Amino acid sequence: MIYFDNSATTYPKPSAVLNRAEYASRYLGGNPGRSGHKMSVRVADEVYKVREKVADFFNAKPENVVFTLNCTHAINFAMKGVMQEGGHIIISSLEHNAVSRPAFALAQTNRNVSLSVAKVADRNEKTVSNFKSLIRKNTKCICMMAASNVTGEILPFNEIAAVCKKKGICFILDAAQGAGVMDIKLGEGINFICCAGHKGLYGLSGTGVLISDGKYPLSTIIEGGTGATSLELKQTDFLPEQLESGTINVPGIISLGAGVDFVKKTGINNIRRKEDRLCDMFATQVGDLNNFTVIREYNKKYAPLVSFSYKNANSFEVTEYLSNRGFALRGGFHCSALAHKTLGTEEDGLTRFSPAVFNSEIEVKKLVTELKKVNNIGI
Amino acid sequence: MQKSLIAVSSITYAMKAKKLLNNMGLYCEIQKTPKNLGSGCGYSIRVRDDLRYIFSILDSENIAHKAYQKIPE
Repeated sequence: MIYFDNSATTYPKPSAVLNRAEYASRYLGGNPGRSGHKMSVRVADEVYKVREKVADFFNAKPENVVFTLNCTHAINFAMKGVMQEGGHIIISSLEHNAVSRPAFALAQTNRNVSLSVAKVADRNEKTVSNFKSLIRKNTKCICMMAASNVTGEILPFNEIAAVCKKKGICFILDAAQGAGVMDIKLGEGINFICCAGHKGLYGLSGTGVLISDGKYPLSTIIEGGTGATSLELKQTDFLPEQLESGTINVPGIISLGAGVDFVKKTGINNIRRKEDRLCDMFATQVGDLNNFTVIREYNKKYAPLVSFSYKNANSFEVTEYLSNRGFALRGGFHCSALAHKTLGTEEDGLTRFSPAVFNSEIEVKKLVTELKKVNNIGI
Repeated sequence: MQKSLIAVSSITYAMKAKKLLNNMGLYCEIQKTPKNLGSGCGYSIRVRDDLRYIFSILDSENIAHKAYQKIPE
């Protein structure tokens, strides 16, 4: 199988990631932050080292790095934590359900919360203007993605974060498709970064991080044992333990540390250059086929993924056909109701090609050859 | 110099304190907070320098220290 579904989760993982995960499973047996014996403290030390690596990667303090199960958990913690007392929240029209569903749920269940959706326009200036026009006196939070998981389009999040900074609005960034291929840091208005550990950071599935600048205290949506303040019924009220109730995923976290090392060592720019090259090659060649439409516009910038449609079959049929011929791509709606409504693709969906640093030009050529066959004789 | 035990907020802050102090060449070890020093399963750091000096370092990095006690020689 040639794997081009790295926007869902990267595969394969770097050897160092697998080795560290095995090491953690085999030798880091204690429960960190709980028992206090030597094994437990040793594991806590290894976990803290990963906090430091992630903190350094995103320009944060280690104690403000919260390990979560995935990006969705991180977004829920941040958004619901900020919005619990009510207020107005703005999201973009391309959001993944990880952002739109919790925002929608808040607006449905908490009468003090209202939701607005800002349209992502053809030009970044217009998109920023659309966000600005929706800001009210009670706007408490803007939550948006760095790059679309459907089209790859990079949104003007830095500009919108700057607006938030000026107006004292909390800004939460969904960096699921950005971390590892874009230089994303806390600061300049970005108060929270949420990202998966298992995508561009190459950790194992079941890993995610919420990174805070510490300016916005969060209320909790999950409470439980934290290894701190144990005799108090009130939940621990400081990061990271406040949001890490229950035993954490030690092998996953240790693997994430190796993944971050891998990205740093390889270099974000080098990873991006390689993946962009594969995407450009794919988009150009498939774009030339008369029965295919590639979702790319010349005046926009893209994270390394390409979505396309085929005139004579829907995306589910295309991906099934490709799967039967040894190619793993994702068709359908990519958990993105808003994005597909915005794009007008809610009927047939799109097929997404998303390479990682381990993919090669030869693999892309093989896929293009297969799509040329489809273009000429159908599926 | 006599050792002291300082209770901190959590294992994360204990780790942060240990790295900080060790990087400055100061002795620091982590242990569970004894019952008489904390209100639950917390963590403490064991140090052996002047406490005012240690506290000033911890304060500079916003590492809250809840209580302390001298450890008998």
